[in-house]
Amino acid sequence: MSIRLSLVKTAHSLLSKAGRGGSLPGVLALKMDPKFIEKMILPDKVILVSGTNGKTTTSNLIAEALRANGLSVVNNHRGDNLNVGIATTLASASDNQFHVQADAVVLEVDELTLYRQFHALKPSALVITNFFRDQLDRAGEMETIIRKMIELVQDFEGDLILNGDDPNVLRLADAASHARVHYFSVAETLRSRTISDEAGEGKFCPRCGKPLYYSYYQYSHIGRFRCPYDHFGEIHPDVLVSNVDFDSSSFTVDGTRYHSFVNSIYGVYNCASVLAVCRALGLKEEKADEVFRTYVLNEGRNEVFELSRPCTINLIKNPTGANEVMKFILEQPGEKNICIFLNDNDQDGHDVSWIWDAHFERLNDPDVKTIVCSGRRPYDMALRLKYEGLEDRVKVIESASEAIEWLDEAKLSSHVISTYTALHSTRAILRRQAGRHQK
Amino acid sequence: MILNILWMYHDLMDLYGDKGNLQVLKTRAEKRGIDVNLVTCGIGEPCSIKDYDIFFLGGGADREQNLIQEDLLSRRAEIEEAMNNQTAFLLICGGYQMFGKFYRDQDGTTVPGLAFFDYYTEASSRDNRCIGNIAIEVTMGGETFQAVGFENHGGQTKGVTTPLGKVLKGHGNQYQSGYEGFVNEQVVATYMHGPLLPKNPGIADLVLKRGLRRTYGDVNLKGLDDTFETRARETMLKRLGVLK
Repeated sequence: MSIRLSLVKTAHSLLSKAGRGGSLPGVLALKMDPKFIEKMILPDKVILVSGTNGKTTTSNLIAEALRANGLSVVNNHRGDNLNVGIATTLASASDNQFHVQADAVVLEVDELTLYRQFHALKPSALVITNFFRDQLDRAGEMETIIRKMIELVQDFEGDLILNGDDPNVLRLADAASHARVHYFSVAETLRSRTISDEAGEGKFCPRCGKPLYYSYYQYSHIGRFRCPYDHFGEIHPDVLVSNVDFDSSSFTVDGTRYHSFVNSIYGVYNCASVLAVCRALGLKEEKADEVFRTYVLNEGRNEVFELSRPCTINLIKNPTGANEVMKFILEQPGEKNICIFLNDNDQDGHDVSWIWDAHFERLNDPDVKTIVCSGRRPYDMALRLKYEGLEDRVKVIESASEAIEWLDEAKLSSHVISTYTALHSTRAILRRQAGRHQK
Repeated sequence: MILNILWMYHDLMDLYGDKGNLQVLKTRAEKRGIDVNLVTCGIGEPCSIKDYDIFFLGGGADREQNLIQEDLLSRRAEIEEAMNNQTAFLLICGGYQMFGKFYRDQDGTTVPGLAFFDYYTEASSRDNRCIGNIAIEVTMGGETFQAVGFENHGGQTKGVTTPLGKVLKGHGNQYQSGYEGFVNEQVVATYMHGPLLPKNPGIADLVLKRGLRRTYGDVNLKGLDDTFETRARETMLKRLGVLK
């Protein structure tokens, strides 16, 4: 038995007993052996989920759908998607001979980490959710990420499950000559639009450079597109979602009605990708409906805290995600206050310019009363809002706990929007503040 | 007063929130009672460049930059006319590079620029991409002040004799170089995103004055409440150790 592995496992079990998860075991493992992940003996089913948005939710739904099909599954359910998080997840589930004890491993993997660990993880299936501009300073340009993924899939022989409605993602299909390619797609809904003010990427055909034609947009550049010159975008989806009903959060695939856990188009896409995985793996798709119905969004994703009035927190990390969160907030009836935590640590991305690519002008709505800006770059956020004519409603409160106290004392429904590294601490403050109301 | 602003290739050259620069120019002009006519121009669209007071061209990813290359070069004579007509230019990143002599990529292929100025750009090796927060000391229009931004470029721009500013922290035109950007009486060109203007209203107002000058002569712009702007800039200057 490996002394290193047992040390890592001991660290994990001690930390778990102390009520702490964290990435320390993975840090230890990779310090002692940089090839730690490669040494792991994994089950036949290794499903990796990557892309810009929806990785955590999608991979958790896939893991649950596999469990509902009777498989034992190991997954990084908290979204620890870098090397150390993956090493921690695998080490904690392995025996002393590096055998991971499960029928399947489902991992969400950061786009750059995927490039480094793809061969070490020996995936049987790769799911790509979408490609948006995200944390550009850390990753180089989105284009670089796509090129790296194209390189990865060139000799990939497993199941490649792609969002057929994202032209950036579809580029992988052209490169994957050995993989079994499966597409998921969502047909036009009542909320689809024929024009988009959000479509930053994918305006041009990646094959010939001429403009792509969209028959409809779902959100951002996601929608039904085609190139009239070379037929790029003319796909035959394996899973085609139709009849999306946003009132009952339900949709149809091949005559079966499913119910989504969240009332949004991106939730529908999450579900569609899960059904495509089930189909590719020969699992029972109807088992997934139970998962969809009962899935509880992860921490910090539509999570509600009972302050003097309900306070909902959502994670944002890039323009597309922020746009969707703002749409959701404005769909909620009644007056509300909003608090935005903008950080610029490593995991957030050092460059906060992405806030200028997001449609913060949407907050210029009469129901939005005050917007509190906090975090490490509160004045950058305040400036962004100022240039949308929101100056009079903007308030900077640098201290996170004072910002939350202000929301509580304002006695109005509120929404907290937080970048990644502010999420955990902000949730802790919200939990404490909510606790005061329970006494 | 009316200010005519041309936003070139708005649909392609819009990286890192560069469109924020236009929101700033527009808002700061309107707060001074100046009407703003903001017009966009895409590939193949006819537009009379010389009729505009301010010409804005932002940055794009390599792919987008290649797409506009030919169209931009085909407009060289019109742009030259605008230069002779006292149009003010604000060029960011890719826009900055394309006004120089050429861009030489990693394979040694040379892409010609508009060649209005003598500077040129060469792709860097992977290790010296200039990424991070940057602070510079700008000297422009007889004023000297500090400006902040975020740089993210592989291209190393050489042969600039009149930089926009001295680097206080960060890289500038080349990896660990001492100077950033290019400036003359008409043109402000820089690698600084952020976007550039929201946190640096000093630069914004100078660009506005230059734009107004050709029709209205030297215009005095009344001061605005720049509390957020100043705080945002100072947050970064302190972080970078430039401001104690």
